[in-house]
Amino acid sequence: MITVEKLHKTIKKRKILSDVTFSIAEGECVGLLGPNGAGKTTLIKCMTGILQHEQGTITFNSNPIVQHKKNIGYLSQLTDFKPWMTCEESLLFFGKLSGLDKGFLKGNISAVLEEVGLKDKENYKVDQLSGGMKQRLGIAQAILHQPLLLILDEPVSALDPIGRNEVKKLISRLKKRTTIIISTHILDDASEFCDRYIIIKNGKIVGNINGEFQKSDRKQILVKTGNVPQTSEALKSSEVECVEWLSPNTFLLTGAEELDLKKVVNDFAAKEMDITSIEFYERGIKEIFLEMVSDT
Amino acid sequence: MTNFYTLTRTELVEAAKEFKFIWLTLFFVILGITQPLITKYMDVILENVGGADGITIDPNRPVPSSAEVLLSTISGQFNQIGLIILIISFMGLIAADRNSGMQDFVLTRPVSLRSYLLSKLMGNWVISMFSISIGAAVSYGYTIFLFGSFSFSNFLLFVLLYSLWILFIVSLAILISTFVKSPILIAVTTIAVSIFFILVKGFNHLLFQLSPGGILNLAENQLLSVHDLNYFSIATCLAFILLNLSWANRNLKKS
Ligand SMILES: Nc1ncnc2c1ncn2[C@@H]1O[C@H](COP(=O)(O)OP(=O)(O)OP(=O)(O)O)[C@@H](O)[C@H]1O
Ligand SMILES: [Mg+2]
Repeated sequence: MITVEKLHKTIKKRKILSDVTFSIAEGECVGLLGPNGAGKTTLIKCMTGILQHEQGTITFNSNPIVQHKKNIGYLSQLTDFKPWMTCEESLLFFGKLSGLDKGFLKGNISAVLEEVGLKDKENYKVDQLSGGMKQRLGIAQAILHQPLLLILDEPVSALDPIGRNEVKKLISRLKKRTTIIISTHILDDASEFCDRYIIIKNGKIVGNINGEFQKSDRKQILVKTGNVPQTSEALKSSEVECVEWLSPNTFLLTGAEELDLKKVVNDFAAKEMDITSIEFYERGIKEIFLEMVSDT
Repeated sequence: MTNFYTLTRTELVEAAKEFKFIWLTLFFVILGITQPLITKYMDVILENVGGADGITIDPNRPVPSSAEVLLSTISGQFNQIGLIILIISFMGLIAADRNSGMQDFVLTRPVSLRSYLLSKLMGNWVISMFSISIGAAVSYGYTIFLFGSFSFSNFLLFVLLYSLWILFIVSLAILISTFVKSPILIAVTTIAVSIFFILVKGFNHLLFQLSPGGILNLAENQLLSVHDLNYFSIATCLAFILLNLSWANRNLKKS
């Protein structure tokens, strides 16, 4: 549906994005993950046509993105409206700018306000709304014109737990009918609905991972012990190549080949170690994300 | 075109909700009355202040003409303190939209940057000229009441040309707000640049004619009934406005 190819973007002589390439298919819900300052917002602004990029192409169903503004709904990271407008007036304003006719807007505005749970607030002024309500009004303006693609820039990062839940529930519902891109620097905010993650760091794509992704190649075993075991050297054996201490009594064994759990258990029993738990180590998206964005 | 209309209307409604039409107009009316009032009753004022022994007033000094009073009202008051207040009222112009995400929401719609910028220009120019025109009209009426008649068509021509200068000032504020984010900094920079264009007159007359400030000279000459008029200034001023807008357009696209 949307394809970004070899995108480069420089702002004030500083390279913000370099060689960004990925594509998103219809119906997907993709998380754009990256630490603060990674370039998520800049990438999104290029994708929505707000910012001009100097190199590369962004296409929507094989056409330049600028021809498809009508098919994109966007929630910006900073979400505020004209404080003197009511919820209804705000949506009317954006609806007109989207070229929607008045008749359609009339019915659709109340439907959309209902959808985001602001039905009873339609005559509230924007400056009477809470942060979570404003964010939901932001989503309302993004879905008002029934876009095919929804791009949400940090929809929940600035909210308290209650607001966060409200907005997350809303996104889960929207996911069923539109393609969605969500940017965030907090993985937990996206893990409930994303099918895939694109990880960005310092303006480069460093990972493109499926949401179901669990890395378990049976080469690693996680061990917790009661008593404090001996040194790393003593834990190594012909199969165990490396020992990594996660806490004083938790460590990770890594082998060159697949490890044999039974053998390791027997080995430790022989050394009279008090093992409280032992299992193959599975790395989920969370660990992968932290690994990819950490500086080491 | 409909987008331009919707956006401009919103600018005007916003100004109305903030009572900008009222306080800005009131401000220019007060400015417009003060100058003729002070000029007329200077002697009385000085007498009553008392202790003004050092200051002697020539009792036979010539009474200023309406044209001179109007000139000092507009060039002196409107274009100095008036301009500063006007620019301060512009400072949120683009900054507020930019810092709140409003601008992004607008620009992801099928709205061209051009209509967005033009609506800002138009909206704020209409608000300014509404207030300035009323202030100037009151000043005109009061001045001819106190100092005798003055051609209304010349006065009208003056306001018309002066409005081009204001159009330039709005476009300048728009341009500067694409460079800096802080509203205070936008106001200070815009004030500094416009004062520069006014002061160029003193440095080099040719440069002044070629600068957007040249239009001020042409406007003032309407009041002084000078015959050798340089209508080229209109083109210069329009060219500068166009330049400001395209530059602002380019800045917003890039960052
Ligand atoms: N208009 C601008 N002028 C100068 N630098 C900018 C501008 N916009 C972005 N940058 C720089 O580009 C880099 C990426 O910014 P961006 O906002 O895209 O990051 P982000 O991933 O969205 O971060 P966050 O999680 O904080 O929202 C930052 O280092 C920022 O300083
Ligand atoms: Mg961001």
